[in-house]
Amino acid sequence: MRLKEGRDHQVYEVLDLHLEPELERRMMALGLTAGTRIEIVNNQKKGAVIVKFRGARFAFGRRIADQIQVKEAAGWGNTAG
Amino acid sequence: MGEYSGVIRAGLIGNPNCGKTTLFNALTGANLKVANWPGVTVEKKEGRTTWQGQDFYLTDLPGVYSLASYTMEERVSKEFILSGEADVVVDVADASSLERNLYLTLQLLELGKPVVLALNMMDIVKERGMELDLPRLSELLGIPCIAISARERTGLNMLLYAMSRYEEYGNPAMPAKRERVSLRLRDRQDAGKQRNRLSEKWNPTFERGMKSASLAGVSYDWIEEIISQVVKETENHTLLMSGQMTESENHAALIPRQVTERENYALPMPGQVMEREDSTVSIPGRAMEETIRKRQDRTDRIDRYLTGKWLGLPIFLAIMGLVFFLTFAVGGWLKGYFETGLVLLSDKTGVVLEAWKVSPILQSLIVDGILSGVGGILTFLPNIFILFLALAYLEDSGYMSRAAFVMDDLMSRVGLSGKAFLPLLLGFGCSVPAVMASRTLENRKDRLRTILITPFMSCSARLPVYVLFSTMFFGKYAMAACYSMYLIGILAAGISAWILFRLDPHGTDYMLLIELPEYQSPDVRSIIMYVWEKVKDYLTKAGTVIFLASMVMWLLLNFGAEGYVSDMSRSFGAVIGKWITPVLEPAGLGYWQIIVALISGIAAKEVVVSSCGVLFGIPNITTAGGMEGFAHILEDMGFGMPNAYALMTFCLLYVPCTAAIAAIRRETGSGKVTAAIVLFQTAAAWVVSVIAYQALRLWGF
Repeated sequence: MRLKEGRDHQVYEVLDLHLEPELERRMMALGLTAGTRIEIVNNQKKGAVIVKFRGARFAFGRRIADQIQVKEAAGWGNTAG
Repeated sequence: MGEYSGVIRAGLIGNPNCGKTTLFNALTGANLKVANWPGVTVEKKEGRTTWQGQDFYLTDLPGVYSLASYTMEERVSKEFILSGEADVVVDVADASSLERNLYLTLQLLELGKPVVLALNMMDIVKERGMELDLPRLSELLGIPCIAISARERTGLNMLLYAMSRYEEYGNPAMPAKRERVSLRLRDRQDAGKQRNRLSEKWNPTFERGMKSASLAGVSYDWIEEIISQVVKETENHTLLMSGQMTESENHAALIPRQVTERENYALPMPGQVMEREDSTVSIPGRAMEETIRKRQDRTDRIDRYLTGKWLGLPIFLAIMGLVFFLTFAVGGWLKGYFETGLVLLSDKTGVVLEAWKVSPILQSLIVDGILSGVGGILTFLPNIFILFLALAYLEDSGYMSRAAFVMDDLMSRVGLSGKAFLPLLLGFGCSVPAVMASRTLENRKDRLRTILITPFMSCSARLPVYVLFSTMFFGKYAMAACYSMYLIGILAAGISAWILFRLDPHGTDYMLLIELPEYQSPDVRSIIMYVWEKVKDYLTKAGTVIFLASMVMWLLLNFGAEGYVSDMSRSFGAVIGKWITPVLEPAGLGYWQIIVALISGIAAKEVVVSSCGVLFGIPNITTAGGMEGFAHILEDMGFGMPNAYALMTFCLLYVPCTAAIAAIRRETGSGKVTAAIVLFQTAAAWVVSVIAYQALRLWGF
C-alpha cells in the first residue's frame, strides 16, 4: 500500500520508494530507506502527511507520500492517548 | 593565509534545527558579519572569538542533512570544506536524533578534514531515559565528541579546547587513525562477554563501511551499528524496564525506537529482521510512565491542535492576525515617539542652517532632501522591529514549519507547495529576505512562481504609503482600507500563481518535504541576534539605497533644462512625469507629481511618502498637520478617495524596490526572467488599479 493511504498512529515499514533519484538521495540522507519503520502521526485527507521516523518528525506533501510503498508493521503507535 | 596566521579557522556544520546557529551566536556573540556565499544567495555568517589567547575565526555553514551536493546549501558547504578555508570542522549534532545526524558526520569524515562532533540537546536524550557513551563514540569515529548545550552555553570551553588541538586528530593521519580505532575495538573484545559479542559482529561492518563509504555510500546499517554501541539506558530507563508496562507502552516512552529495540533484544546484522525475545516488561507505577510520556509527547500534543484537521487553519490565521496586530498597533504606538523626534530634528536643523547663513540650495538639500528622506524611513523602524521579532519567535519556536504543513492543502490548489508559504509570509516583512527564502523550494518552476508572486505580499515598506493615503481619505475606515491592501495582494498572488500553473503545459509538481522540529521556548539570544541583523540590514539599506534615491530625487526635482530651478514644474522630474501621465490616467493617477513619487518609490517603496513631501512641498508629511495640508492640496487637484485607493493598489503591486529586484536577479540567475517578472508586476498593478478606480467611480464615490 501507499504511505498516503495509511492510518494515523499506525507504524509501517517502508518497502520501496518510487521517487526521482535526487529526491531518493535526499530521503536517504534523512534516513528513509527500504526497511525503515515509519509512523503516521497525521494524515490529512487531501493534503500532506506528518510522519515520524528515526526519532524525527517530517511533513511530506501528497505526491511524496503517494510514491512511498509501505506495509503495516506490528508496533507502537505512541502519539495516541 | 597571512591574515589568518595563528588564527584557527573553523566551519560550523549541522542538520537544520540542530542548534547550530544558537551555538554560533553563543561562541561569537555580536562579533559577526553576514554576507552571501559568492554566486549564490545562501547566507554566509562569519564571526570571531578568542579563548585562552587563541583566536578563532568561525564560519556558520548552512543547515544540511548531507553533502550530496543536491541543494545549493550542500554544494556551498562541501566546497567550503574541501577548499581548505577551514582548519577544523565543527559538526553540530542533535543528540536526540543522533542516527540521522551521524549520516552527515560520516560523510564529513570521508572528506578527510579534522572534525569535532558537538552533541547538542543531550538533556532531551536524558529525558528519554537514554545515555550516550561519548568516549565510545569518540573512539569509534576517531574524533573528539563533546556534549554541549548551545542554549545553556555549557560545554563550550571543552569544544574550543578540542578545536584548538585539531592537528592531533586531523588529516593526513586519518586513515591510520582509523586502523587504530579498529585495533582498539579488537582489544576490547575481551572486555566482557556482551561487549565481545557486539564487537565481533560490529567490526566487519565497520571496516566494510569504511572501505565502501564514498559520500553517497554512507549507509544506515553502519550508523545503526555505531548507535547500538553508544546508546545506553539510564536509571529512568531501568526503572521503566523493571515495571509492568506493556510492550507498546514501553516503546511509547523510548525514542529513538530502533535503538532501544536493538539494545534490549539483540544486535542485528544488517537487513536481518529483528526477533523479539522478550515482549513483556514490568512497570513501577502508572505515575512514572505518565511523567515520561508527558515530556516526550509534548510536541505531539501541541501538534494535535496546531496541525489538527479542524483547528490547524483557524489557529494559524489567529497567529497571523496577532503578528499583524503587534506589528501595527504596538509598532504604531512607538512610531509616535519617532515622529515627534523627527519634527524636532527637522525644525532645529532648519533654524541652525538659517543662522549659519547656508545657501538656499544646500538648505533645501539638507532639510528637504536628506532629512525628510532618511528621517521618513526611520519612523518605520518600530514596525519592522516588531514584525521581525514576531517572525523570529515563530521560526525559533518551531511553528513556522507547521505553517507550511497547515497551508499545504490550500497552497497546492494554486500549484504551490506548502513550503512556498514561508517566503510568502516573509514577504509581509520585506520582499528581499522573502525572495531569498524561496530557495528552500527544490523545484525550479515552483521557485520561479513563488519569486514572481512574493513581491505581491505587501511588505512593511509599503505600509507608510497606505497609512498616509488611507488616513487622509478614509477617516475611520483607514484601518480597513489598509487591511484590504493585504487581501488584494494575497488575491493577486493567488490568481497569478494559479494562471501560471494552468498555463504550464507540463503541469509541474509541488512537493512538501520539511522537518517539524520539537517545539521549544525560543532562545532569547538567538532572537535578539536575528532581529538585530534584520534591523541593521534595513537601516543600512535606508542609509545607502534610500539615501541615494533621495539625492537623485532632489536633483530631478530641483534641476531642469535651465539648471537649478526654483519652480518644480520645470524640473526633469516633471518632464518625465508629464510624459507618462496619459498612461496612468485610467487609474486616476494622471498627476505628474504622483507619477514622479511612484518612480522614486522604485528605489524603495517608503520613499513614495517622502517624495510626496518634497514634491508637494510639505515638510513632515507623516504628521497630522502635514497630512491635513497635503489632503487639501490633493483635493484641490481633484484627487479624491478613488484616486487614493488606486494609488495604494498601484503601490502594492508595481515594480518591487531596487533591493528586491537585485534579490530576484540573484535568485533566478537571469536578467531576462527578472525583467519579465518586473514587467508582469507592473502590468498587474496597472490592470488592478484601473479596475479599482473605475469600480469606485461607478459606485458613486
